[in-house]
Formats: sequence, structure tokens, C-alpha cells
Amino acid sequence: MNGKKLSATALNKLRKEAVQLRLSGATLAVIRQKTGLSHPTIISAHKRFIAGGWEAINIGKRGRPRSGTSGPGTADECLKYMLAGLPEDGGLWTTQAVQEWFGNRQHPLSTKTISRYLKEWGIAPPPSTETTESASEWLVQHHPDFVGSPAESDAQIKKRKILKGGIASLKITDTENVSGICGYAIYVQDFRGKLYWLANAGKPDSRSIIHFLERLSAQLKQEMIVSFHSAPLTRYQDIQQWLASQSQITLLTYATSPRSAKPAATPAADKHEHTQSYVRNTMALTHLERLEAESIQIMREVVSKADNPVMLYSIGKDSAVMLHLAMKAFHPSKPPFPLLHVDTGWKFRDMYTFRDELVKKLGVELITYMNPEGVEKGINPFTHGSALHTDIMKTEGLKQALNKFKFDVAFGGARRDEEKSRAKERIFSFRTADHRWDPKNQRPELWKNYNANKRPGESIRVFPLSNWTELDIWQYIYLEQIPIVPLYLSAERPVVERDGTLIMVDDERMPLQPNEVPMMKKVRFRTLGCYPLTGAVESEADTLPAIIQEMLLTKTSERQGRMIDHDSAASMEKKKQEGYF
Amino acid sequence: MAHSSDMISEDIVQYLKDHEQKSLLRFITCGSVDDGKSTLIGRLLYESKLLFEDQLAAVEAESKKFGTQGDNIDFALLVDGLAAEREQGITIDVAYRFFSTDKRKFIVADTPGHEQYTRNMVTGASTADVAILMVDARRGILTQTRRHTYLASLIGIPHIVVAINKMDLVDYSEKTYNQIMDDYTAFAKQIGIEETTFIPMSALAGDNITEPSNNMPWYHGTTLMGYLETVQVDDELMQKAPFRMAVQWVNRPNLDFRGFSGQLASGIVKPGDRIRALPSGKESTIATISTYDGNLERAVAGQSITLTLNDEIDISRGDMITSAEEPASIGKQFETTVIWMHEEPLMPGRTYLMQIGTKTVTASVTGIKHQVNVNTMEHLAAKKLELNGIGECNISLDRDIAFDPYKANRDTGSFILIDRMTNNTVGAGLINFALRRSTNITVQHTEVNKEVRAALKTQKPCVIWLTGLSGSGKSTIADLVEQKLLAAGHHTYLLDGDNVRHGLNKDLGFTDQDRVENIRRIAEVAKLMVDAGLIVLSSFISPFRAERKMARDMLEEGEFIEIYVNTPLEVAEDRDVKGLYKKARRGELKNFTGIDSPYEAPQQPELDLKTVEMTPEEAADKVIELLKQKQMI
Repeated sequence: MNGKKLSATALNKLRKEAVQLRLSGATLAVIRQKTGLSHPTIISAHKRFIAGGWEAINIGKRGRPRSGTSGPGTADECLKYMLAGLPEDGGLWTTQAVQEWFGNRQHPLSTKTISRYLKEWGIAPPPSTETTESASEWLVQHHPDFVGSPAESDAQIKKRKILKGGIASLKITDTENVSGICGYAIYVQDFRGKLYWLANAGKPDSRSIIHFLERLSAQLKQEMIVSFHSAPLTRYQDIQQWLASQSQITLLTYATSPRSAKPAATPAADKHEHTQSYVRNTMALTHLERLEAESIQIMREVVSKADNPVMLYSIGKDSAVMLHLAMKAFHPSKPPFPLLHVDTGWKFRDMYTFRDELVKKLGVELITYMNPEGVEKGINPFTHGSALHTDIMKTEGLKQALNKFKFDVAFGGARRDEEKSRAKERIFSFRTADHRWDPKNQRPELWKNYNANKRPGESIRVFPLSNWTELDIWQYIYLEQIPIVPLYLSAERPVVERDGTLIMVDDERMPLQPNEVPMMKKVRFRTLGCYPLTGAVESEADTLPAIIQEMLLTKTSERQGRMIDHDSAASMEKKKQEGYF
Repeated sequence: MAHSSDMISEDIVQYLKDHEQKSLLRFITCGSVDDGKSTLIGRLLYESKLLFEDQLAAVEAESKKFGTQGDNIDFALLVDGLAAEREQGITIDVAYRFFSTDKRKFIVADTPGHEQYTRNMVTGASTADVAILMVDARRGILTQTRRHTYLASLIGIPHIVVAINKMDLVDYSEKTYNQIMDDYTAFAKQIGIEETTFIPMSALAGDNITEPSNNMPWYHGTTLMGYLETVQVDDELMQKAPFRMAVQWVNRPNLDFRGFSGQLASGIVKPGDRIRALPSGKESTIATISTYDGNLERAVAGQSITLTLNDEIDISRGDMITSAEEPASIGKQFETTVIWMHEEPLMPGRTYLMQIGTKTVTASVTGIKHQVNVNTMEHLAAKKLELNGIGECNISLDRDIAFDPYKANRDTGSFILIDRMTNNTVGAGLINFALRRSTNITVQHTEVNKEVRAALKTQKPCVIWLTGLSGSGKSTIADLVEQKLLAAGHHTYLLDGDNVRHGLNKDLGFTDQDRVENIRRIAEVAKLMVDAGLIVLSSFISPFRAERKMARDMLEEGEFIEIYVNTPLEVAEDRDVKGLYKKARRGELKNFTGIDSPYEAPQQPELDLKTVEMTPEEAADKVIELLKQKQMI
């Protein structure tokens, strides 16, 4: 049926044949029929031909020679082989299968070396934090609903083999594919540590999951519960249909790690020295102290002059800093204004949880507002596009909320360093009665003297963080141990790739292409907004210092991850005039 | 170089610890694009590695398209606004940019544009610790250099650096450098600047920006970055001045806590320190310095804190807490330097709101001593201050304030002026000193006062202020009202526009500033007559809201009754009793209200008389009715 059991030479012959067919204009389906090679193999062979001619097609001749060995039997070649199909014995890949593969090529390896390879390739599952846990305990923690359901008695569960698995993104060092998703592995692991997997090039789809489960079922020949760390797989009709015909397999999914005891990313562990009454060692204020004092001064001015101020709260890191400063500015009183969250309904679930917990903890008042017309019309970023979604849910929603509650001054967390056009924005930015920003009618700001006088109907947006940079924000969060949404820190999350941007599949409303399955990747977010509009970045940074380190060493600016800015070049400016911050 | 990359990748925690101790420096760059100002800022951003790859790529692409530097990166494109921005016509353009090195974070106020230069530069300079004056080595000291120097010294920027740029274009000549240095020093001495730093450089080639230049071995001074990283910042200087804190907000979470929140303008404060509250003059001692992070053992200039005191003394927003040993001064009349920032000129006599620290008071400019030509520093006589004009003005307030001369304290000696109608910030000012006049002239308290006089006349004195276009019927109605009041036995007086202009105000014309003065005098006369117990009718076009408001504010609550004689322009022009509209239309009469001078209709008059709907008799009856209703008669 395919070339898995062939020798490298025979396989290379088939690959050449495939490329010849491709060059003569045959479709992938036809080539597959004729050669028995899979689509990714054909594409990969063709790409190699384009890059390096006929010689490059031969897989045995390529790859980095490892510890003096050349020819067949290198790690790279093993991965290539894996991408092309199943091991020689026809089952799923396991550590033993890899060991055999190397053994057959006169290159015996220890299991330790193989584990290292698996880790390098990205196939090894994320290290378990709960090492001594039993299968049933694990199941209770990750699927309380399933275990608790009356249909599933303990005895019934205990009879079955429990496997945890997921879809991992492969790390292919091939220079042809440098960015995005270029390969994946579907894997499961039992509670004795045994790993079964299947690797493929391209993006994961539901068919390959069925294929994997079929093989797994055939190989283990017993009843089992498979729990995938992934987006819900029951949304795929073909998977559902296939499962219906299988009595042996129960498929469960969980999207995020179960909520641990500490909800927010608080780096409480490595607490700094000073919190209580302290004497600074030098008399001069540091840059963060000066910025803090300035922001507090601005907030107090607003509160003294405004009739009905409000703080716009977006749950992001800048909002977190702004709220923290407000707590400082009015201490021991609570901030004498409410927070306003203009919700679009499309924020990450972690953001909502974080928001509600924080507000409760701090004892501040929170108003949430969602544009009722937008909700009624079912405005969403997928069918209506990011521009319309933002306009109706965010811009319109904000105006409606300000009008409804008659807020005359609104604090916003925008900073001047965010982009070029913001460099000239005032700290006190005036808006007409219909919330438009008139660039010609902004007041000069001298010394610390802010003119907040206004006519009835006019309103002011005040940006207390104007002079902070992204680095200042992160340093301050770190120094002051300000809680932030965990999404800023790297973790395994289900993502799909759209136009080169990684989008997290946060709930079932995210439309996927037919059969498209998200895979788990270690990602984090540099900015937070509506999840369908916010790109994730692949990152290992799971602590604040690591984030700052990554930021200082990365070379792309913050807003790159925000799809909203891609819509049109001067879009930010236009949005501001229309009333979006 | 700017951020030590090795440390970032090897020990980020240590790096962060070091960077918590960084200080902040704010500076302003003065000069035009021709001097290489944008190139310098772009270069500083680039050298501090604050440019991201996507930004750099964008600039590289733009450089090829629009740049003036061939294949090299045109740094100026980094900071020059987008085309779209320029089209928007933002008139006040101070752009703030940020970068940091291992030692400091920097905020650059970038003030481009020649037109609005004074306004922009003063705005940017008001918060700056350092001014970098750009000089093109080929052109030497120019008029604009003098202007920038004068403004920088006026605003009191503590440090001035003269950046002699484009040295590469004069073959890195030491002679040129020395010549410019001598020229500048001679001129700077005239305006009292003692210390200046000179740095020869090339922003384009990178000489003496972050690395000492090999092209100028004769120069042994610091690089620009070296200077910026080490110069003393303003907050540190202000710690040596006496303690001052304007109260922003009274913090009362419960009955047991009463704190006064503010930012220390200067000095150091510790629990136990003796303080004085101004303007009340009451004294107490500091109990605690309360912050979210716990009580502090001391606070220094620049910190935002909340103070609690050991005695319950009455302090509210706008008051100043100062050191008891060296308190701030108190005053009501000042000699100030005003920088005017609005198209509508400053007019002596008109009242404005003055915001000084956290206090807002009513202020009027009682006289302009002279205006300063910013290019030549000459003193010129002036009747008003136009946009970007700088003048020495005497200002009189409606109540006492606490202050320091600007030279001693930038925070407690600076103010802004706000237009009472538009709410715009129209001017900025520096207090030079208090005028002693205020202490010598006090209000004479006499036994016979307004109440006694009014009681004798069995009426409540007031001003019935009729405003409206020429020919609207003000005088006719006023005359009828007075007849009716007289018939009822009341004591009245009618001030009429034409009559007053024949006597008291015959020195005044019809320009805007003369109109302002005209109304000021009339309002003062009306006030005296009210004090005499009379019901005063005043019939003047009085076209500006600001002056009518000034008149209202001079009197006590309820004494000013504004009546809008509401006649449309067409109707008034059609009547044209005195033939003035025809003259104005022919251009024989300048500044005629409604034709080529504006009329600002009242927004909330006590009475709106629509004369097209009623006879003058009916209109007069309505006024009498209102007076009865208000129990004035």
C-alpha cells in the first residue's frame, strides 16, 4: 500500500518517480495512486527537487551526520521516515519501534538517547508535574464531569485502559519550513510512561485523528479511555460518526490545564526585599518611581475635577498597572470611581475569570457593558470581519456606555510608545459631545498643570500611562508583583494557524475549516484582546523575568500580534477620531 | 552597547535588579530639521537598540523611497510624522519619544515646526531637565539659536547643551568649533546664562554620540550620550529647596483618617516636621507619610504621597502645605511673564481663570509692561499679546494664593490661563514677584454701607444689563423701564452706551481690546452705583460673553440681571435708526457689531426679549415683572 516497508533505495526511486509525475503535471491524488507515497512526502520531495535538483530528493544522503556516522540511520532521517508513515512493523510509533528502526540501520541507540531525540523533535509530551499520580486520580482531576456521571461507575472505569494524549507540534529544523506549523504528532501515553504516536507533515485534521485511533485500537485490543489535551473533538462530524461505531474507545478532551490553586500569574515565590516601610538607599527617585508619582498625580487631578470619572479596564497588562496605580493613588481609600469593561463577548475565558477574581479581591466596583444591538445582531469577528466587529462592539459599545452612565472623564491605558501617531497624544485628550477626537482642538500641557475644564456634554480621555514604555510596564509588574492574566505567560495551548498567525481556539465558537484540528503549542500572548483577533507567539517564557528577557531580545514591536492593526495602515488614527481609544 | 545583551541572556534577574535603580531624564531638542534634529533623535533611538526589526525594516524601505541619504538609513524618517498626520494640521506638536540605556530612561520632547515655535517649545521645555540646542556647524549661531536659548533660559531649564552638529561637513575643524563656542558664550552671557556644555558631533556619521570620535582627537569632553547619562536631574536639585506640597485631594476613607494627598514639589519631609498650611497660615506637625506600600520614614521631591497631621486644621484642595521655617509667600497681585498660546489675543482688563498648582482663581491682566521680541530680546510696548507673544504682565487675582517665584520653584511659581468661555488653555505664565500694592490698598470699612442705603430707598440695588445688537431697542426699553420704576418711587440710574462714550470712555475706540476696557469701566461704575443703593440700568451692545461674565462676577450673587434684547440682525439693520448699518455696509464704519465684529448672544440670560414679537412697552412690562418676581422692588 505504501512505501514504509521499502528500503531507502526503493523509497528514493519512488520519490523520484513522484517528482517526475509532479513535473509532468499530475495531481497529488494520481501520484499517490501510482507511487503509494503520501501527499506530504510527495510535496516534500518536490520541494527538495526545486531547491537542490535530483540529488536532493534522496533522503538517505541528507541530514546531519551524527557522531561520525553518515548515511542511513541519522536522527533527521528517522524523523523523515516517521513523517512518511508508520514503522516497519506497521504499528504505531513507540520508543521500541524507534530503537528497532535504528537497530535495523546498524545504529543501535539507548532508550535515553531516543528520549532525547523525541524531545528535540517535539514528540515527547510536556513533562508531567504530578509525577506520582494514579490514572484514576488524574481522570478525576481532568474530567470531573465524566467520572461523576451516573453512567460511568468506578468499576467500569477501572476496567479500561486510561491514556492521555494530544497533538504536538513538531520541531523540524529543515530550512524549507522556518515558520508556522510544519508537522505534528498525535500521541497518547499510558500511566506507565509508554508512548504511542503517529507523525505527519502539514496541519492536523480530523481524518488523521481517526486514523490514529483506528491504529491504536487495533494495536492495544482492549477497552480504553483516551483523553486528549486539545480543543473539543466532538465538534467534528467524522470523528463523532467513527466513535459511534466503536464501543472500545471513549474519547475525552480538555482544553486547558485544570485551574490550579493560584489563579493569577503572581510571581510571589521570588518576592523582592522591600515591601514595608523602607528608606531608599539613594535620595534620587528611580525612573519607575518618577513614572509612578506622575501617574498618581494625574489620577488625583482627575478625581478632584471630574463630575463622574471612570476607569476603562480591558483586563490587559496596561490596565493591570493602571488599576494598581489607582489603588496606590487613593490609599487607604478605594479608588473613587468604578471600572468599566466594554466587553465584546470574545475575550479569552481566562480573562473573564481573572477579571472577576481580581475585582472581588480588591473590592472595587466593576461595570461591564456589551453593545446590546451588536449582541442582538450576533456581531462576531469571523463573519463580520475584525473592522466591523471592533467598530460595533468596541467603539460603539464604549460610546454607549459612556453616554448611559454619563461618565465625563475616562481613564485609558494607552501609551505614547505604542506607535508613531500616539507620540503627540495629550495626557488629557478632549472629545466632543459625540466622542470624536478633534486633533486641532487639543490643549497644550505645561508643567504638571492639566486643564480639565470642559463644557457640558464634552468628555475627556485621560492617559495616566502616557510616558510609560512596554519595558517599564513589565518591569513595574515584576517589581510590584502585580497580578496579570496567565495568558501572558507561556503554556501549552490549542492553536490553529491563520495567514501565518497562531490563533488560540479558546471555545467552540471558533469556526474551523472542515476537519481542521487545533494542536497544542507552547505559546503566550504579548497583547490581549478578542481571542480570534489576537495572535499568539511561540515562546518558552513562563515567568516574568523570562518575558522581559524575551522582550529585550526580540526584535518585533508589540502590536504586530494584533490583527486589528493589519486592516489598514493609518487605521489606529482613524479609529481614534471615531472614538475607539 | 546601550542594553548589555550578555547580561540579559545570562542573568535576567540580576539585570532587572540593576535596572530598578535607573533614573529618568527628560530633555528637549531645539532646532529645525535642517540642523539634523530628527537625525539625532533617530540616531539615539537606534543606538539604544530601541528600534524593532519591523520598524527598522519599514524605515529602510522608506529611506530608499523618500530618504535623503542614498542607501543609508535616513534616521529622520523614524521621527518625522506620517504624511497623514501633517495633513491633519495638528497645530500644537510636541511629540514625546522614549529610549533607555543601562543607566537611564529618557523622555525626549521633540518640538518640530517653525510657525508655532514658541508655544511648542515652551510646552516641551516646561518639563525638561536638559535642553539640547542644535547648531549647524556650517552656519554657526543663528537667530533661532538665540530664540531657543532665550526660551530655554526663560523656562528655567537647568542645563543647556549646545550640540554643534554636522562637524563632518566642516572637516571636523577645531577652529570652527572654537569660533561657535566663543560666539555663543558671548551672547549667552548677555541673557545671564553662565554654564553651557558644547559637544562637536555628527548625528549622521555617529561622531561623539555614544562613542568618542576618532575624527576629533582635539576634543576631550564627553559624548552626548555620556552627558545625558550623567547630568544631574531636576528632582534631585529640588530636594534641596524648602518643602512644598500642593494639596490635590483630601483623603477621608473613614472618620479616623484624614490625609492630604499631593506630589512633593520640592524638599524633603519626615514625620515630626513642623509645617504651615497656606494661605490660612495655620501650623501643625507631620504625623505620618502614608502610602500603599506602608508608612514612609521620609519623602522627597517628586513623590506622590498622603500626609496626616497631628492637629485638626482646616485644609482643602488648592491649599499648600509648606515648611513652617521657610514657608511660601502669599500674594494677590503679581508681576509675571506670560507666554500667549491662543489665536484670540490676551486683552488687559479681561478676566481669565488662573490655574496655579491645584488652585484655580479668577485673574485679570491689569497691564502689559512690555512685550519681548524673542529674536532680539528687545522690549516693545504692547496693548495686547498675540499668539506666541511673550510679555511682562501685571496680574491681579480675586483672592490670595500661596506661591514661590518661578526662579525658586518651577512647580509653585508657574500657572496656566484658561479662557472662561471656551475653556481652552490660552496662556502660560511664570510669577516673577508679588506686587506690594495689594498690601497697601485695603477695602475701607464704613458704618454706612450698601444695605443701609438700600433700606432707606426700600429697594434692592441691582444692575439690569441690557445687551443686544445696535438698533435692537435697548435704549428705548431701558428708558421705558426707568420711567416705570421712577413712577413707582424707586431710585434709579441709566447708563447708556452713547452717553458714557461721550464722557468717561471718550478715550476708547471700537477695537476688541477697547470694547473690553469700555465694559470694564462701565461695570465698575455700575458696581459703585449698586453700592450707593441704586437700581442701575445699563444699555450697551456689550458683544462679548467674557466681559458680561466679568461684570456679573464683580457684583454679588443675584445683583446682575442680564436681559437679552433679542432682535435678529436683519430686523435691526432694517430699522437702522441711526443709519449706522448703512455706513458699516459701505465700509465707512469699522468694527461694527454684527457686520465685521462678532456678537456673542447670551446663553442663559435672566430674560430673553424677542422684540419682533412684542412692543417696547410690553418688553418693559416684562422687565418690571421679573424685578417683582425677584423681589428687587
